[in-house]
Parts: sequence; structure tokens; C-alpha cells
Amino acid sequence: MAWLVLRRALWAIPVLWVVATVTFILVRVVPGGPFDAEKNLPPGIVANIKAKYHLDRPVAEQYLLYLGRLSRGDLGVSYKYANRTVNDILSDAFPVSVQLGAMALAIAVLAGVPLGTVAAVRRGRLLDFACMTLSTVGISVPSFLVGALLIYLLGIWLKALPVALWESPRHMILPALTLSFLPCAYVARLTRASVLEVMQKDWVRTARSKGLSPAVTIVKHVLRNSLVPVVTILGPLTAVLITGSFTVEYIFAVPGMGRFFITAVINRDYDLIMATSLIFALILIVSNTLVDIAYTFLDPKIRLEH
Amino acid sequence: MNIGAEPPSLDWGVTTDSTSFDVISNLQVGLTQYNGSLQCAPACAERWEVLDGGRRYVFHLRGDVLWSDGRRLKASDFEEAWKRLLDPRTGAQYAYYLYDIENAFAFNTGRIKSGDAVGVKALDDRTLEVRLKRPAAYFIYLTAFCPSYPIRKDVIDRWGDRWTEPEHIVTNGPFLLKDWKHEYKIELAANPLYFEGEPDLKKIKMFMVAEQSTAFALYENDELDYVDNRSFSTPDVERCRSSPQYHNVPLLRNNYIGFNVTRKPFDDRRVRLAFTQAVDRRVFPAILRRNELPAASWIPPQLPGYAPDSGPPYNPERARQLLAAAGYPAGAGFPVVELLYPNREDTRLVVEEIQDQLKRNLNVRIELVAQEWKVYLETLHRDPPPMFRNSWGADYPDPETFMNLFTTYNGNNSTRWSSSVYDRLIEAAEAEQDAGRRADLYRRADRLLCRQEAPIVCTYLSTQNLMVKPWVHGMEFNSLDIQFFKGVTVR
Repeated sequence: MAWLVLRRALWAIPVLWVVATVTFILVRVVPGGPFDAEKNLPPGIVANIKAKYHLDRPVAEQYLLYLGRLSRGDLGVSYKYANRTVNDILSDAFPVSVQLGAMALAIAVLAGVPLGTVAAVRRGRLLDFACMTLSTVGISVPSFLVGALLIYLLGIWLKALPVALWESPRHMILPALTLSFLPCAYVARLTRASVLEVMQKDWVRTARSKGLSPAVTIVKHVLRNSLVPVVTILGPLTAVLITGSFTVEYIFAVPGMGRFFITAVINRDYDLIMATSLIFALILIVSNTLVDIAYTFLDPKIRLEH
Repeated sequence: MNIGAEPPSLDWGVTTDSTSFDVISNLQVGLTQYNGSLQCAPACAERWEVLDGGRRYVFHLRGDVLWSDGRRLKASDFEEAWKRLLDPRTGAQYAYYLYDIENAFAFNTGRIKSGDAVGVKALDDRTLEVRLKRPAAYFIYLTAFCPSYPIRKDVIDRWGDRWTEPEHIVTNGPFLLKDWKHEYKIELAANPLYFEGEPDLKKIKMFMVAEQSTAFALYENDELDYVDNRSFSTPDVERCRSSPQYHNVPLLRNNYIGFNVTRKPFDDRRVRLAFTQAVDRRVFPAILRRNELPAASWIPPQLPGYAPDSGPPYNPERARQLLAAAGYPAGAGFPVVELLYPNREDTRLVVEEIQDQLKRNLNVRIELVAQEWKVYLETLHRDPPPMFRNSWGADYPDPETFMNLFTTYNGNNSTRWSSSVYDRLIEAAEAEQDAGRRADLYRRADRLLCRQEAPIVCTYLSTQNLMVKPWVHGMEFNSLDIQFFKGVTVR
């Protein structure tokens, strides 16, 4: 396992370099710059600003400067938020997104796996139909609509939960529920399909014929073998959830980093765009590595060396 | 309250946006401050003299203005602030607001290396002298504008970029920056050292809720006491229009369609005049539904120099005659022209209406081109299309902020229209010290711009829509859209 982690860590360096390089080129190719504003600035002032941020240097030099800073862990400066570095911005926002994303992930797995399992066991019955309808709704209804409905139902109508903001644990429930809706539906569908497939295997029939109760067979044997595909999608899912959701953060006024994936581009905040891309890539690499490790626990046939 | 977004910076020497100014205007005070009628009233300066035909200002500071750390305000705090704004190393976008000061331009653009020659000087602790390179009657307004507020150089030197954080910042205004959770909330607290007395309002929470419907739900749940356009969707405005909590304020923001006059067919004045008389501006409030004020002239009604007849009348018959005279009878042979607009719901509604009216009244075809905001800005600055939709908001309540825009030398004049007559009128108005004569000069320039030359078609003035809870008293709204909280009470 140590070898796998080391190999992945070494691989991460060229992957991140490629992400950095491609993003660096793309953000500079897009028309419009960070200092284009409604009030066009006199050329002398534009020159001062560009000099301040080294944007007056040749692009190749800017690129080398950026890589140099990046190698020291310095993600650069924000052109939009003049008094804050990208490190400052992300160190404020990232923990919030991790908290919200982890809650949503927990809800998605803790609700999605039982829902999918129940649906598979009760295949073709009312419960299956109910679970799958719910998950189809979860996949097809966009989160801004889910969020708006939850705000209206639980916040305004029943006054059971706060409408928005990020003040106390109670404030976290609605955004976490909203964010978990889609992944929960995915997990439920995937679990159902996988459980159904495993239930057809000979050894399940053997287990049942040896006298094991249906519940024990499902929980101890079927479920464990069914989880491989679910765990597979947990890698990218984790990356998506803990780097924040623009929509959910937007409608619930959550101060996470999801917004920067959109606003940094709108503002042409070059270093912030680069940082969000790099962090996303890094988390994807880490979570996929964790998924690979998890495989070995679920299915002894999978060996890390392969 | 909801300010809708994170203020990009609370450093008043660097920031340029209205969200930051909303906060800074309550933290800090300059030489003067706006009164209810948007005139400059004494603030840190108890009085001032305008000397040498408007070329020299001498400000006499109050002796009782304290910074939040207890230190007394000095005239040198202003000198240092203005020189920092102009220092090229600061990279301040609004440095050009001080270009009327002697040697300010030269210092900011590196033509002189030292700020010593810049015409702002603390003569002693309570006297500040400002020398202008030419008379500029609007200059006094800049002393109420955030970028001209004094700074504590020692604080900035000590903390660097982090000086605006609550634990470091030192201010002199009615409120103190108590807490700042970035991207989420700012808390202000009443300043016991404020020279006009500690405000009644002890605490202000400014949330940064971007989504309008969420913010409005918070208002309806009594979690916000005051909301404005940032929290107010058009359907909500419609629903609340008759509520006693609702207020509507016309802003000093004028919206227009510009022509690139260097491009055919708009190089022909008759075509431009035809277009400007073929637009019925009365429909805009019905389309945009925020009580917008139709406007045919560039100077808004709130400012001196405004005259109801400066703008062209709506006269489709006359418009058709003008277009025929230009060689396009009933629109025949008129090329399809592009109208560029930033991709937003409100701007789309406006340009679609104009497209429709021009088709009906002049039988000309307009092709609408939407671009993302920054792409649109770059297109506008680099290579303006034949027609574009744009707007301009005032930085200070003086016609100059609007009228200078269409001078030959203004970098924001995307029409590329150039008139030496217009330029001379504006220069004369800038230097004129007599208010009546000055208003008259702007009136003549406005008429030339909107009615005789028409490089633009003025459309409407934007409005601010607000809701205030009944327990909040003393809120005063102004057309500059700056909200001061020092006189507000909650009961």
C-alpha cells in the first residue's frame, strides 16, 4: 500500500503540472482581463497595475514566475480581492466546503446504500418503485430547485429550519440535504443495480441454502460485494462535494469555495482560477487513491499491485 | 442588511466598487461629507477656502477628530493618503480622480519620481493646502469620495496588505469594523470616539447573500431589516410595490445606446438623429418593472444643467424623414447593424425592445449580439461595434461625471465621437466658478450631445428599490446610492 501511495504521489506532480499549464494558457487566451471594468482606466494607470502584478512581463516569464511560486506553496494573489492572497481566500473557504461536502457525502451514502438495497431486495414491489422514483427525481431535479423547495417548505412555511446563512449547526441542515440529493440518488441506483447482480450469484444461493437468514445474507455477503461500484464513484463524488457547489453555496449563502469555480472565471482572477483547478485535481487524485485502497478491503481479489 | 457580495477590498485607496464603498462610507470620513441634498458639508474639515480663481483650496481641519486608536487626525494623514493613491507602486485604479492636482498625473505616470512636487501639502496639523493645475469646480465633491479619505500610513506600513482586517484597521468614522468573515458577513459597531457623537445604532450586520430570493426570504423572516436591489427580484418588487415598507429612488445612473460614429451608417448624423427620435422611452419602466425613469437627455433631472427639452422628442415621422434624407427611404438599403450588449436579463429586454421599435418605426434590421461581461468590455474598449448598450453611474453628484464621458480625450467614450465645440463647452464648465453659468454651459453641451449630434440614444435612469422594516427609523436614501447609517435607529 505504501508503494501505491508513493507512486500516486509521484504521478501527481506531472498531472498537476499539466493542469497548471493548460489552465495558465486557457485563462490568458480568453478575451477580457482582470482589470477590464465598466470604467475604462487611463493607460498610465493600467501600466501601474500591470507592473504591480508582473502582468507587464512576457507571458513565458509570468509562467515561470507562477511555477516558481507554486513550487513554494504560494498560490498567488487575487486581482479582485486586493488585500488577500489566494492562500488566504482558500484557507477561509475550503474548510467550509469540506464540512458541507462531508455532511452531504455522509447523507448520500447513509441514505443511498440502504435505499438501493431495499429497492433491490423488494424488486418490482411498491417499495422498489418508491425508492427508484425518488432517486429519478433526485437525479433529474436541479439542486437550485431542490434548495428553493426546501427553503420554502422547511424554512418559510413550517419555520422548522433557518432559510439560509452559516451561523450554527441548524443552518447546515438544509444546504447539506440539498447538496446530498443528487449523489444520494446516484448511490441508491448504483447500489440497487449492483445488489441485484450479486444476488444472482451461485454463492448467494449457497449461503441461503446453508440456512443463513435473508437479512444476514444481504448484509454480510451481498452488500459487501455490491459496494465496489459504489466506492468507485465515491472518488470523483468526494472531489466534487468537498470542493463546494456553486449553486448550493449561492442559494444558502454558504461561504465555501464552490463559488470561486465560477466567480474567479467571471472576474478573470487568474491565480484564483489556477488554484481552484489545481485543488480540484489534487483532491481527485487523493480520493481516487483512497478508493483504490478501499477496494482491497472490500474485495480480496483486487490487489493493489495490479 | 445584505450587501450581496464580498467587498473586494476595504482599502479605500485601492478599491473602486460600490460594495466596498457601502462599508467604507460608514467606517471612514473625509474632508467633507454629503448632506441630505448631496451637497458637500463640513466633516473632518470644518471650513475651506477656494482661492486663486479656483486653483487653490485650503482646508481647515477640526481639532476633535480622533482615529479609532485614539490618535488625533492630522492634515498629513490626507497628504499621505493622496500621495499613496498617486504613487504608481500602489497601482490604484482611481488615482486619476486626483489628476486635477498639480503634478499628480506626472507622479502617477512616472514622469516625476518623487511625490514632493504634487500639489497637496499639510501646512500644519490642521491645515491642508491643495493646488490644482486648473480650476475644477467639481473638485470639492472628490473630498467626499472614498478614495480621498485619510489614511494611517503607520498602520499600513506595519501590517501591509492585511491592514484592512478588523484586528488592524484604524478608522475615524461613525462605525468600527468589528468582524469580517470573508465571503459571509461584516459586523460594524458604533464608534464611541466618533467626533459627531457615538451613533444610536450599536451594531450593523452586513451579510453577503448573493441570491436575491434567499435574501428576500431572510427579509420576510425578519432576519434582515433592510434590503435593496441586490436582494430584490423583479417579481418581488411587483408584489411589494404597494407596501409601506417599499421605497423607490431614481439613481444617478443613466443608460444609453451608443453608436460608433466612425462606422457606417452611423457616421451620418441624420441616421443617428433618426434613431434617437424613433425610440419611445416611455415603455422602459413597463418592461423593466422597477419604476425606471425614461430619460432622453444625458444629464439626469437631479443635477444642475438638466433641461427637459435637451433630449430629442419621440417623433417617428420626423425620424423616417431624416432616414430618407440620409439615403434610406423607408429603411430601403439600410445595412443590418449589430447591437452589442452584456449578457444579462435586463439588458436583453431593453435591446429587444429597441430592436422592435426601430423595425416598426424605421424598417431597419438590428442584429443583437450578446457577450459575457468581460468580453463585452474588451470589445467595447478595443473595437466598438456600430451600436452598443451601455450605462454610466455617477461617482459624485455633479454633471461633470456624466458630461466628461463624451469628450474627445475620455477613455470611456466608446462612440469615438469628437466635437471640439463640445470639448470647449465642457472645459469651460469645469473651470466656471459661478453655479448658474456653469449649469448653462452643461445644458448647452447636453443639448448638443443628445439633440443635435446624437452619438448616443439615452434611454432611462436606473432606480434603487428598497424595503425597510417598520422598526428601522432615520434611513435616508440618495441618488448616489450611498447608505449612511449614522442617523439610523432601531426601535
